[in-house]
Amino acid sequence: MPESPGDVRPVKKGLALRGLRELLLPRPRDTESVDAAGKGSLAVFGPPPETMADKRGRDFASFLRKVELFEELGDADLKRLAQIAHERSYRDGESIYEQGRPGIALFVLRSGIVEITRRKRNGHELPLATLEPPASFEELAAMGCDVVRWTSARARGPVTVVALGRPDLDALSRTAPLLANKLLRKLAEVTARRLQLLVEAQLSEGEERDPTDGPEKPPQRG
Amino acid sequence: MAPRSRPSAVEVVFESFAAVAGAVLGIWLLWGIRSLILPVAVGALLAYICYPLVTGLERYRVTRGLAITLLFLVFLSAATLVVSLVRSGVSTEIRTLNFKTRLLHKVNERYQDLMGLDSSPRGTPLYRFVHEDVDPIVDRVNRFLALTPEERARFLEAHTRPDRPADSDVLLAYDRANFEALQRRGLASSSGGGVRDVPSSSVTRPPAHREKTPLAALARILSTWIVAPTVFLFLLRDTGEIKRAFLRLVPNRLFEPTLEVLADLDRALGGYLRGVFLECVLLGLALAVLFVAVGIPILWAVALGFLAGATNVIPYVGSAVALLVGLTYTFLAGEIHPLLPMVKAESVAIWLVVGVLLVELLKNVALEPLVLGGAAKLHPLVVVIGVLGGGILFGLPGLLLAVPTITILKAFVSSASLQLKAYGLV
Repeated sequence: MPESPGDVRPVKKGLALRGLRELLLPRPRDTESVDAAGKGSLAVFGPPPETMADKRGRDFASFLRKVELFEELGDADLKRLAQIAHERSYRDGESIYEQGRPGIALFVLRSGIVEITRRKRNGHELPLATLEPPASFEELAAMGCDVVRWTSARARGPVTVVALGRPDLDALSRTAPLLANKLLRKLAEVTARRLQLLVEAQLSEGEERDPTDGPEKPPQRG
Repeated sequence: MAPRSRPSAVEVVFESFAAVAGAVLGIWLLWGIRSLILPVAVGALLAYICYPLVTGLERYRVTRGLAITLLFLVFLSAATLVVSLVRSGVSTEIRTLNFKTRLLHKVNERYQDLMGLDSSPRGTPLYRFVHEDVDPIVDRVNRFLALTPEERARFLEAHTRPDRPADSDVLLAYDRANFEALQRRGLASSSGGGVRDVPSSSVTRPPAHREKTPLAALARILSTWIVAPTVFLFLLRDTGEIKRAFLRLVPNRLFEPTLEVLADLDRALGGYLRGVFLECVLLGLALAVLFVAVGIPILWAVALGFLAGATNVIPYVGSAVALLVGLTYTFLAGEIHPLLPMVKAESVAIWLVVGVLLVELLKNVALEPLVLGGAAKLHPLVVVIGVLGGGILFGLPGLLLAVPTITILKAFVSSASLQLKAYGLV
């Protein structure tokens, strides 16, 4: 398990996700230049200091305002969203969700650090990312799909998350369809951006590995 | 994370004892407030049925408070209308006395006819078979409906004065017949009236409700049923606080399964309740139309249709009540004027039976599939046993709440087992 934010590859500027503390794929080849890589990763992936959520935020709605998913929502919409949100606290090492299980909620990290991992066929846990506030994760579970989690999430230290359940969001689509529409669009945008980030990371690794090769080889799957 | 140490035997015993004590205390408290269970359940179920209306109004930018106020005003207006209609039907004391006189005469006349007591004092074989059980009931009905000496004096005064109503002669004849019937039964008082306060030898004990005044009974009912509108209002006002508070108590590993189970329960119960409510309304309307068609006055038809529709919350009871109240009305009413040309006054009862059967068929073939669909489909045997069992165990609350309870339990068990398996918890 990488301890420092050095396991990252720089990607295109402007392509960032709020709260993505470190992207742990692809695997690092040079672990001696952690500090330099860490600085580089923070410059690319780390959220601007002013967008980091207040870990002790008292007002739910004001916390939700800082989340990328909800940045386009007005005060009334945020208040309505706060009515269907559930705050959950997890101990160090406690599982938030597990790979292979169904999922019905999306999570927004309010305080603490969450580690995203994927279990390989041989049983080894492959770390994928660590998240810090105000990151959101498992958005697909809220988009009306029958989701089976493809990763696991575990608390690193005490963690507080805000969970939004799919049934409550479905009910919201009936009572406040405009709000539900805004959320869905934002969810789709975040999901697409996350996919692009991962693909760019994979391509960057491919280029770095053998920059002298003429034709570009397709990125190898991890 | 350090593994949690296994609990000691003392801890296990203590926790088990605390759980049992908590359960016993909970059951004792529930038993103590059992008179509130039905009003709370009715208020909660009504709130559940009306919740989509409130959220629907919110969608059109009506605030929740205003939406609830509007809904409450609609209910209040409907209740006021019903009360005023009932009161207008029996608005004066003389109308009440007329009604009781007519009703008592019809009951005695039909009983005499049915048991053959007009032609022979020994009556028919049926009478000889059942009279020991039925006579006390008829005595009780006579005692209840008979006018007291003071009431009879007012009745006679109203129907013997110069400006008496047109049907006074008929009513006076009924009154004489009633008095003779009371004398035959040994229930008439020497002053010439009913015998409500004189116990008959065939009665084992006086009715318990006569020990309390109407005001005390009303106060008792209000003190418990005031809970129903209170629960109704506060549940409608809730914007998710109750659900959030409940989920706070759930451990993290059960959080998502609990969300799924709650969603399944909401779908099952909500669909069933709203479907049943709509079915009751439509059934009541259909029966009201039927009653009007066979000649029952429109006010009575609406009232009886409403009653039959309301009792349809208990499965299979709605049509039975419709048949009973319809036949009772035709049995006791003075004159029937059917609207349909093929329905004759003499055959109203038969047409009523046919009509109720047709409405029941319409309900089963069209209303239920359309309105209820697949919502909480229960096997008819489960429904019958559940309703009867609920009635035996808990009386009227058991009859009313049996089917919703079975629906909730069925949805909970099937959803919980599915989710626990899916999340790897069992």
